[in-house]
Amino acid sequence: MAKRLFIKLVAFLLLAGLLFSLPSVALATAVDRLLLCDLEGHPGETIQAQITLQGTDAEERSGYWSTYYNRVEGDDERMDITSWITIEPEEYTIKLGENIVFAVSVKIPADAAPGVWGVTSEEACQTGHSAERRTYIIFKDTVSGGNVYSGMLIPVSVVVLGEGSPPASSEETGPPAPPEETGPQSPPPEQSGSPSSALDFIKDNIIAVILGVIIVILLAVLLTRRRARGG
Amino acid sequence: MKKRILTLSIALALVVTMLVPVAALATNEAGQGASTFSGTIEIVSKHTDDAVDIIGFPPAQPGTTVSWPFNFTDWDPATDPPPPDWQVLDPSNSEPVARLKNNSAGELLVWLQVSDWTSGVVVAEYYELVDTTDTTVAVVDDVLSPDGGAYMVVTNQTIASAAYKALYLEVDLSTTPGLSGGSLLTVLGSTP
Repeated sequence: MAKRLFIKLVAFLLLAGLLFSLPSVALATAVDRLLLCDLEGHPGETIQAQITLQGTDAEERSGYWSTYYNRVEGDDERMDITSWITIEPEEYTIKLGENIVFAVSVKIPADAAPGVWGVTSEEACQTGHSAERRTYIIFKDTVSGGNVYSGMLIPVSVVVLGEGSPPASSEETGPPAPPEETGPQSPPPEQSGSPSSALDFIKDNIIAVILGVIIVILLAVLLTRRRARGG
Repeated sequence: MKKRILTLSIALALVVTMLVPVAALATNEAGQGASTFSGTIEIVSKHTDDAVDIIGFPPAQPGTTVSWPFNFTDWDPATDPPPPDWQVLDPSNSEPVARLKNNSAGELLVWLQVSDWTSGVVVAEYYELVDTTDTTVAVVDDVLSPDGGAYMVVTNQTIASAAYKALYLEVDLSTTPGLSGGSLLTVLGSTP
């Protein structure tokens, strides 16, 4: 009876391992932010922001960034701020599990009047206000040889501060950053691991870690019994 | 007892070996302050979650409308036997060319973008986006490109998280014979 239970336990563990190891369905590229709204800066300043793409497709995907102005009749000059925006690098190739960080720079013209730019109202970036958004950045990609792309439109809005306004408190404002020394075809170097990456590894692989600990305990018990007999 | 412990250890080691190659990919992450990632809208097969990378329109007479495109995931004319798995327009039993799946954690608004059709082979393109339970699509007349040129349209349709929509496409061909060409179709999402 105990032997049968033992055999069933081993079979269950092997099956569970097989189930957990089956590859997941391929997914298109993921992004870490869906809005780039209410960026603040004074005329003449350049706002720096970052967006990260994560590769979730089993196949390598190639794509690029662009800007887009959703023109609506009656729009004024404040709606189209695509000329303010640059994204580096523009082109990318991304693999499963890879994260790529992109630098988004928004250069506010020196003669920009105070107020909200890129959207028709201050509430535009709230849920349900998509009709009020005008300027977007877009990423899209596809697998090699494909003619069908997928991606995301990310609205961008800027609050141009007046002369009497205090300095913008956002982490994303500041002096222009030096351009990266990478070619237009090269993605930026991946970030190095942070001190919390070990904890992240444990969290991401918690099942494997628990099983590994169980293995170590069982082997320790085995060794202890051997020593007891040998002693 | 000793033998059982050893067998159990070997079994667990095998399980860990199967798990780690998949799990280890997750460690290649940047140490940025980025929070949760959001997936995009993906074009998938009519029947499974396999990605669709190519959509094709079969050849037809100049000046006619082609209403039976297909995707190369569900049916590859070079390798799969007939009958073809084409789009079907029918008042009670319609079938899309592909489905759109929302891979993000929230609802997304759907945009469609098409690039210029090369060679002028297509003079207009249309789409329909409906719930996958709707099989009554007999007409495809929402304009994607009125002249075969590059356009972006907001469909005013949203897809809930992990949900699907059925995509139908149709093109009007040029009256000039002997043309062939292509364009790029992009499906984009944005927060509603």
